[in-house]
Amino acid sequence: MHETDIHDLSDDADYAASQQQGSASIMRSDSGRQSSSSEPDGAEVVYSKDNVTIHPSQLASERISGRLKLIKQGSALFMTWIPYKGQGSNARLSEKDKNLYTIRAVPLTEVRSVRRHTPAFGWQYIIVVLSSGLAFPPLYFYNGGVKEFLATIKQHVFIVRSAEDANVFLINDFQNPLQRTLSSLELPRAVSVVSDQSVSIDVGESPLDESQESSSRNVRDGRLSTLQYNGRTRLKPQDPARDLSIHVLEKFSLVTKFARETTSQIFGETHNNGFGAIEKRRYNHQSSIDHPEKASNSAEKAPELVPVAADPLEFDEAALIWGKPRQPPLGPEEWVSFLDSEGRVTDSKALRKRIFYGGVEHILRKEVWAFLLGYHAYDSTYAEREYFSVLKKSEYETIKNQWQSISPEQAKRFTKFRERKGLIDKDVVRTDRSLPFYDGDDNPNVNILRDILLTYSFYNFDLGYCQGMSDLLSPILFVMGNEADSFWCFVSLMERLGPNFNRDQNGMHTQLFAISKLVELLDSPLHNYFKQQECLNYFFCFRWVLIQFKREFEYEKTMRLWEVLWTHYMSEHLHLYICVAILKRYRNKIMGEQMDFDTLLKFINELSGQIELDAVIRDAEALCICAGENGAASIPPGTPPSLPIDNGLLLYSQQDDEVL
Amino acid sequence: MATRRRMLLKVIILGDSGVGKTSLMNQYVNRKFSNQYKATIGADFLTKEVQFEDRLFTLQIWDTAGQERFQSLGVAFYRGADCCVLVYDVNVMKSFENLNNWREEFLIQASPSDPENFPFVVLGNKVDVDGGNSRVVSEKKAKAWCASKGNIPYFETSAKEGFNVDAAFECIAKNALKNEPEEEIYLPDTIDVAGGGRQQRSTGCEC
Ligand SMILES: Nc1nc2c(ncn2[C@@H]2O[C@H](COP(=O)(O)OP(=O)(O)OP(=O)(O)O)[C@@H](O)[C@H]2O)c(=O)[nH]1
Ligand SMILES: [Mg+2]
Repeated sequence: MHETDIHDLSDDADYAASQQQGSASIMRSDSGRQSSSSEPDGAEVVYSKDNVTIHPSQLASERISGRLKLIKQGSALFMTWIPYKGQGSNARLSEKDKNLYTIRAVPLTEVRSVRRHTPAFGWQYIIVVLSSGLAFPPLYFYNGGVKEFLATIKQHVFIVRSAEDANVFLINDFQNPLQRTLSSLELPRAVSVVSDQSVSIDVGESPLDESQESSSRNVRDGRLSTLQYNGRTRLKPQDPARDLSIHVLEKFSLVTKFARETTSQIFGETHNNGFGAIEKRRYNHQSSIDHPEKASNSAEKAPELVPVAADPLEFDEAALIWGKPRQPPLGPEEWVSFLDSEGRVTDSKALRKRIFYGGVEHILRKEVWAFLLGYHAYDSTYAEREYFSVLKKSEYETIKNQWQSISPEQAKRFTKFRERKGLIDKDVVRTDRSLPFYDGDDNPNVNILRDILLTYSFYNFDLGYCQGMSDLLSPILFVMGNEADSFWCFVSLMERLGPNFNRDQNGMHTQLFAISKLVELLDSPLHNYFKQQECLNYFFCFRWVLIQFKREFEYEKTMRLWEVLWTHYMSEHLHLYICVAILKRYRNKIMGEQMDFDTLLKFINELSGQIELDAVIRDAEALCICAGENGAASIPPGTPPSLPIDNGLLLYSQQDDEVL
Repeated sequence: MATRRRMLLKVIILGDSGVGKTSLMNQYVNRKFSNQYKATIGADFLTKEVQFEDRLFTLQIWDTAGQERFQSLGVAFYRGADCCVLVYDVNVMKSFENLNNWREEFLIQASPSDPENFPFVVLGNKVDVDGGNSRVVSEKKAKAWCASKGNIPYFETSAKEGFNVDAAFECIAKNALKNEPEEEIYLPDTIDVAGGGRQQRSTGCEC
């Protein structure tokens, strides 16, 4: 009955009509092969649709097709999507990929909403958002069937149309649909979906051939899989990248853009057309909104949904990205698996990837940070590292001695030294003093902090000491414990971050500039807003960038973030995407409250301690992927923390404009 | 509906790193002193409602980083200031000597319409240290400099002990107000209260 499907570019009248057709027509409307097969254990397939497809990337050619089903067992309804076996449209999509995307028996009680997308031309697709705030990637209905899909759900589950968007269907929204709708406006809490089953299924295990069996098995385990969705404990740490989680960044314009691009690539539209289509669609909705829902099962509970004009700020909604879930940190057992018998890191890329997705357990930091920062080489052996540390210790002592040997008499005539020391003295006593490691009077660690900074200001006399350095050093000393090793790790870090402290501030300016370019790329409404408010200098991000969010998170979280940044796994400039991710989390508030420069600065400063780290890392990862080459191109070459381009040549322009 | 006059007065605190700018601001606004303030990175501000005669004002006090290297940021923050507070540490000669630089830098970056008469207030902070025994800048010397710059009001303060801080800021507020042109914005009370953190700057500051 493909004819029915052609009419699937339905407006609401069609939808309403389909409400009344009942299940018979729904069964009928399928390709017919197995419209209503009885499942074991009383499970019944009430909807089945072939050629429902996922596009894992922006490449139209990369797609995974499969069968979408709704399965009823008892009073519960489950959704499954099983990819076809061995029918990959693209060699790059392995069976593993297919397993990753497989949707195994998601109970509809776990679904918050289904968003229907009906492009003016092209295939319809839906986005299923789970109550956890996560979503599956868009499911494209190559054979149509969205309408029936929704109608079938409607027969079994309480479903209402969102007041805000006629294309959003809220499921299980018993309490107060309006309230719920409002809460969906809040920024997404990124929670990860970990599909443990997807991971545990072997590559060889066939998807569709056994789908009857496997889906019924999952139905039987329905309750269990619910638990798995919420519980992260069952995660296999060895397989960080294999889990798929789909991460919703609702209201993130870029994803609409992303979806738009995907769609436009698939259908060969130009970007302009794509945009126009979306706009047009929106107006269509608005004109069609005044078809109230008919035939509601529970008239009492389904309210008259008042048409609400779309908030222009919400124009780019329906955002969705799939990013990877955060993993538990790398632990000792797993760490040894990265080392050969002599202590070399055999696959540094794999290690960095692992750390990118989960960080490192604290007890390992001392060892691992030395690699991440570049103090120790990945291919060094235990013995070589030990020897190297000894050499470096004496080298450190030599440099330290340069200032230690300055006599009081000499210091009297050495203003630069005195002032530099004075500034450092003042700063170390203002650095993380609430931490037990640095608290109390005459804390020896505070003195070590001072000694390292002063030694560094001799090691790199041109750069000298600058405020913010003590913030960067503090966690390093806390982790490394040992003075000389801390010094050299700090030196390595400053190789990259030194330009943040340049006298002319050019390192900071390039980074702030890059942020503005990325926001322009990834959230043009926000960019325009900042422009209008004369906030394009992005000075409100200054502290974030200068000391790598050190003041924005609690200590442990800062260390976690840093080790993730230092992997340089996705991008050397992930921190810039972190900035964008945070701004995007609060974009609605910023624009909604019409914050001006002052208010914005205050708001950002007061976010300190409020930001959810794992969520922004994942957002940043997703943004980084979405921005792709355009993102990279927005960041000028040599932007910190890239290593300086012309190494060795007058890194820190020495001007006598400052004594220190 | 009752309307009340409320105006935003913008004050910038400048001075070398460590002279006690953040401490002074917190002492004035929150009436507390902590040894655990961090060195200021970037900029921040606190606001305080002040009543003056029968009028209510919002004093917006900006605290910036003291290290010279960060001064290029200043432009963004100095704009629209109504008064500039110059702070030095009476125990550190250099911080006093630098007052002149801070003053000039401010005038260049903020470029107020009438630089000759732009209100400054000078604070000599940390007078509590060592019972005054370690001080290296005498009150006399400081006052002389202030006089030479067009009779800048001068206060000796201790952010730690809260000494003279209120008096100093009262003077600061008055001077900021003097700088305000007569025109004001009239705001309905309700909006102002509901707006919470939202500030309304008087039109006079935007120049
Ligand atoms: N004894 C004493 N110490 C003070 C006083 N004011 C500030 N301090 C101390 O001086 C140090 C610097 O104070 P801050 O208020 O952080 O200085 P700041 O001018 O804001 O410094 P930057 O943020 O680096 O520009 C801190 O350790 C304070 O505890 C004071 O009145 N008396
Ligand atoms: Mg300060």
